[in-house]
Amino acid sequence: MKTYFSLSLKLTIIVVAVSAAVIFSLTLYNISEQSIDFENIYVDKAKDSSAVLDLLWSDSHSNNTIANAIESVKEKNNISIEYIHVFTTNNDSLTLLFSTNLTKYNTVHGKYIFHSINTSQVGKIKSSQNAIDNLQVIIPINSSENITGAYEFSFFTNEAYQVFQQRTTNLMLISIISLFILIFSFLYLLRHFLVKPIIQFRDTAKIFGQGNLDTKINIATRDELGELASAFNSMAEDLKKSREKLEEYNKILERLIDQKDAFIGQLGHDLKNPLQPLVGLLPILIQQEENPKMKKHLKVMNENAQYMKELILKTLQLAKLRTEKISFDFKDIQLHDLVERVITSQLPFLEENNIKITNLVEQSTQVNADPLRLEEVFKNLITNAVKYTPDSGGKITISSEQLNNSIQVSIADSGIGMTKDQLSRIFDEFYRADSSTHGEDSVGLGLSITKRIIEKHKGQIWAESKGPNMGSTFYFTLPKEKSGASK
Amino acid sequence: MKKIMIVDDEPGVLYTVKTGLETIADDIEVFTMQGGQDCLDHLDEINPDLIILDLMMPGMSGWTVYDQIRDRKNFEKTPIIFLSARTDDIAKRAGNFLADNYLEKPVDVNIIKIRIEKLLEKKEEE
Repeated sequence: MKTYFSLSLKLTIIVVAVSAAVIFSLTLYNISEQSIDFENIYVDKAKDSSAVLDLLWSDSHSNNTIANAIESVKEKNNISIEYIHVFTTNNDSLTLLFSTNLTKYNTVHGKYIFHSINTSQVGKIKSSQNAIDNLQVIIPINSSENITGAYEFSFFTNEAYQVFQQRTTNLMLISIISLFILIFSFLYLLRHFLVKPIIQFRDTAKIFGQGNLDTKINIATRDELGELASAFNSMAEDLKKSREKLEEYNKILERLIDQKDAFIGQLGHDLKNPLQPLVGLLPILIQQEENPKMKKHLKVMNENAQYMKELILKTLQLAKLRTEKISFDFKDIQLHDLVERVITSQLPFLEENNIKITNLVEQSTQVNADPLRLEEVFKNLITNAVKYTPDSGGKITISSEQLNNSIQVSIADSGIGMTKDQLSRIFDEFYRADSSTHGEDSVGLGLSITKRIIEKHKGQIWAESKGPNMGSTFYFTLPKEKSGASK
Repeated sequence: MKKIMIVDDEPGVLYTVKTGLETIADDIEVFTMQGGQDCLDHLDEINPDLIILDLMMPGMSGWTVYDQIRDRKNFEKTPIIFLSARTDDIAKRAGNFLADNYLEKPVDVNIIKIRIEKLLEKKEEE
């Protein structure tokens, strides 16, 4: 079974992904912007301080003056300074001139390459890797456009960084909250504008399927769904019209079929009366006639009259079986005994054709069927089997098998068998596998009648044959006994 | 000589049954009645031993004729064979009690003769 993914789920996943991507990238951009701001504060501080320093000790470069200048700068600043290093240029390299914290200086790698701190790097941060605790900014010392040295300021950033981090966390929190608000409002809109109408379509389509075409879809929005709804409604209208038309035709057809059945019935009965003199008197004429030639003529006439009679009776029977009105008398029957009865009644006919018949139906097998009509089924199938088993010494075997919900009966003969084409047509009305066969029992309706009787029992009938001269087997199913008395 | 009365609206049927029966049986005399009224008019006069009655007749139906025959004291027990083209009608209206007493058209006259003999024997036994 396929897993069901609702439309809302799919759309929600897409929306969540897209809005998360947008909101988080915006947030991250914001954070990086802020972190640059955060660093710029220190760069500005460093610049301001260096300008003050420049002024304070520009006249005399003694360590004492520098120390005094730095102290005043440190005091002026609101931000706590870890240390300040002062360098002077010396042949492309920088030499430490003064430090407020020599220990710190020594732990850093000692020498700075002068050209790495050129004018373009003014205001740059030495390294922001340890920015959580402190941050170093390098500012060149400018005296009349020539760089003569550099300051390195190291600021304690701990406190400021915490503020920055707090702000970032808040920003993330706001992002997540707005993401949720976005998703929920989208889901609400989705439900209201898309899923609900679609569910209405689905339910209405179900109602249509049940045949109620009067239901209308109530979506009046001016969008694709609204258009779909009105198309849907007019489709229902059209369907209703064509269904009404079909029903009308159906009624006409039913009436025509009724008329046809009535016509066949009337014709059949009307044909019986004029046939009475032929069927009634020809046998007597044959008995009384002494001239053998005349006797033969009369016999032919009688055979044809009998054939016509059979044709009329079978046609009427078939027409009657076709109507719903005919009632069947269903009973639980012992199948073995019924088959035995039919075989006994057919014995003269079987002996005449020298055919041996075996009843393998088990004594315990019971079916729910109309006994008289079931007898006719067996009679027809036996007659049929005998007819297509022309060589004397043939064999017919009747057996039954218990299926889940039914009993399957088979009647196998050792006769001429059937081709595929014949197999597909034997149950057709007026079809004869061998068109030369022409006797009173072979009007070509026996198997059609048999099929109808089986169908009235809610069973199925079919035939199988391995091919010409390999015999044929007829199968049919019958409902099991109702009482359920069998063990 | 047994007197058999046949009631039918079809001259062909009347002719067949009369000629056929009289040809194969020496002790049977057949009286043909064209329709129910004809039958009732001549019933007392002919006083038949057995009546063959068609069911589907214009004017008076076989069932009406049957009822009126049975209403007459002399014919309460006269065997009646229904000879009809409509077997389903008989089955529907009369149930199984008629099983021995009806024949479906068209029928071999030999079979009518056998049926007549059987019913007359049965009557004599009673």
